[in-house]
Amino acid sequence: MKVLELGSGAAGPVATKYLAEHGADVIRIESSKRPDFLRVLFLTPDSKYGVDGSPMFILLNPNKRSVALNMKHPEGVALAKRLALEWADVVCENFAPGPMERFGMSYEALSRDKPDLVMVSGCLFGQTGPHRAYPGFGAQGSALSGFNHLTGWSDRASAGPSGTITDSLSPRYVALAMVAALLERRRTGEGQYVDLSQIEAAVYSTSEVQVRYSARGEVVTRNGNRSEQAAPHGAYPCLGEDRWVVIAVWDDEDWKRLCEEMHHPAWSADPSYETNAGRLAAADALDDELSGWTRQHDARDLMTRLQAAGIEACVCQEFQEIVDDSQLSHRGHWTRVEHSNVGSLLAERSGFRLSETDGELRTAGPNLGEHTNDILTECLGLDPVEIERLREEEVLV
Amino acid sequence: MLEGFRILDCSAESGFLAGKILGDMGADVVKLEVPGGDPARRGPYLGDIEDPERSLLWLSLNTSKRGITLDLELERGRGLFRRLVRQFDVVLESDRPGAFERRGIGFESLREAQPGLVWCAVTPFGQTGPYADYRASDISIVAMGGNLHATGWLDRAPIRCTMPTGDYHAAPEAALGITMALYGREDSGRGQFVDVSMRETQLQTLLSGPGQYEANPERYADRHRAGDRMGKSREIWRVKDGYVSFGLRGGASRIPNLKATVQWMAECKMAPTWLLEFDWGTYNHNVMSVEDFAPFEEAFGAFFASKSMRELFEGAVDRRVLLAPCNDAREISEHQQLRSRDLFVTLDYPELGASIEHPAFFAKTNRNGIRVRTRAPRIGEHNAEVYAELGIGADEIAELQAEGVL
Repeated sequence: MKVLELGSGAAGPVATKYLAEHGADVIRIESSKRPDFLRVLFLTPDSKYGVDGSPMFILLNPNKRSVALNMKHPEGVALAKRLALEWADVVCENFAPGPMERFGMSYEALSRDKPDLVMVSGCLFGQTGPHRAYPGFGAQGSALSGFNHLTGWSDRASAGPSGTITDSLSPRYVALAMVAALLERRRTGEGQYVDLSQIEAAVYSTSEVQVRYSARGEVVTRNGNRSEQAAPHGAYPCLGEDRWVVIAVWDDEDWKRLCEEMHHPAWSADPSYETNAGRLAAADALDDELSGWTRQHDARDLMTRLQAAGIEACVCQEFQEIVDDSQLSHRGHWTRVEHSNVGSLLAERSGFRLSETDGELRTAGPNLGEHTNDILTECLGLDPVEIERLREEEVLV
Repeated sequence: MLEGFRILDCSAESGFLAGKILGDMGADVVKLEVPGGDPARRGPYLGDIEDPERSLLWLSLNTSKRGITLDLELERGRGLFRRLVRQFDVVLESDRPGAFERRGIGFESLREAQPGLVWCAVTPFGQTGPYADYRASDISIVAMGGNLHATGWLDRAPIRCTMPTGDYHAAPEAALGITMALYGREDSGRGQFVDVSMRETQLQTLLSGPGQYEANPERYADRHRAGDRMGKSREIWRVKDGYVSFGLRGGASRIPNLKATVQWMAECKMAPTWLLEFDWGTYNHNVMSVEDFAPFEEAFGAFFASKSMRELFEGAVDRRVLLAPCNDAREISEHQQLRSRDLFVTLDYPELGASIEHPAFFAKTNRNGIRVRTRAPRIGEHNAEVYAELGIGADEIAELQAEGVL
């Protein structure tokens, strides 16, 4: 499967990462005239490797190749178009609407010459409508699609979930649309165009919120760690600085087991705690009391001990613990990839394993234009003299 | 897009969305629930009448599926399941690891007779390993996936999103794994096991954060969850009628955005002189301290506080400024852009006397391949037609119902 990617940031490149991990040949069209913003996001005056030293970029683009094409030069655009028409099965892009049309690479233009092309566009708001040109990133996506409103304490401002939910949600829908469109093409011979809006994919995911609004006028609002079904339900402080364990009590049996593990402190004998309704009504008081107990314990010890007793309890993990996580090692979640400038980095597999045709991460995200010569030779049959001329005329930058 | 593929969706709540996605993409998805209805047919209820047929959670996450009942705890139920699976390409489930296998109806038990079968299990930590049997609902998945610790304020506990982002991330990834397996089957004729770990799909919200940390731990030395701030600068701003998101960070490429905002403030006579004269060539958010950001926050904050979410967003769209309102369900429902793309579809529930708007698709295609097709099924609504395909007639269905198998 041959995937041509034009795009930047997380939303576009993460989508094709799923395919690259599972054996697709993914080529990124890039240009030093306008580098992917993940290549420059963390640049400081003492950054040694410029656009070729960003761990975030390198980690989100494994197994891919990069061709540098100056899209401000007509010959650069012509080469990009040839790659789409002569080489690619799929074109995936996440520009705000405009550039692809200017390049003559809209689906309409490309499919005229290649009717079975599959193309997926995945910008913030989609290809049509009054806000189509709005050039947002994940932070705007999370706000617009409701995730900020839904995250935080009821007595404080929206917190905004860490990370930007549309950046992590939309790429998996883009990847799904790509594979499904290719599967449909295999079965029908026909290509298609997918116009994905990151906001819409997020709102679709929160269908329950919109259905509750439409059906009963309810505006679901952030409510700390409260649950509508479970109490206690939250993150509780443990020994050490800023250490927390999550505990969730779903029914009376869970509660009995938890009381047992706590050795039945006096407060837990309150009869109103014996029923789920009683515990839900007393959630604040329960949180305070339970915190008094968890504070005396190590978070990881509590997880091990309460899980062994059949109670839901998990450590609120920080980066170091995630890197050291025994379950993730067991699952082969991490792969060390070597980058020519930055050295060895821990790249992540996707969230699923396939028993027969599992994916693998082989190479670090490419340097800008690292594979320009190979790609132009192998995919378009250009000879070295021609490549040299293009280079001299600043087409391959 | 997936017309012709048949999915038997045996999942509990955490897998509902995965089945819905496949159904909305045209697959024939049959939702299997226990007789009497799935435990997730819970409140809030339509009209606040406690009734499993009125569960809004159920109705929102099971569109484009047909519904049957079957009790897999009974031997006769398991026998029927074995016959039923033969009609399907994919089984989707979210039971504890090994639960289907222990009942003799798991992937390993069935694949010999049906080599093309694709089996997708959505579990918190995957099928094997030290945490495989751990209990974990959404908040635990978010905690183990690293997002919880990074969200909230330092003076209180870390917090999750009030809605289950663990489910939201696992669902499209499960659908993707299934679709890849179906694609691979076109050549090989063989199905496979798709082992989804919800926690690993949740890790992706960190966008490679742990790997970046491992490369440069010192950069994260003073990293703390920041509530309405991100890193050292404000991210969420109080405005007249709510909140907006706006960053003072983002690298050199975002400076035009900051300049455009100052220009906008100047038009409203709200830009202080120092800001108008500021040399943006010297601005680098990566090396600024909280104190360095303070005067910017004061000036931008005063401007935002003088306007409403709507005024600010309209201005931002006109000026291509990266500012966005923190929308709630009502604002999303009324959003002009989403309406212009017909994001919402009204489904009728005549027996409940209701019509409800649902988001209709996660993407538009020129073949109209992704759309909510039908409302969620009532309990056992399609028992007759689905079991008829196995040659089971009305009499036998009645008998199976009497025995509690259906």
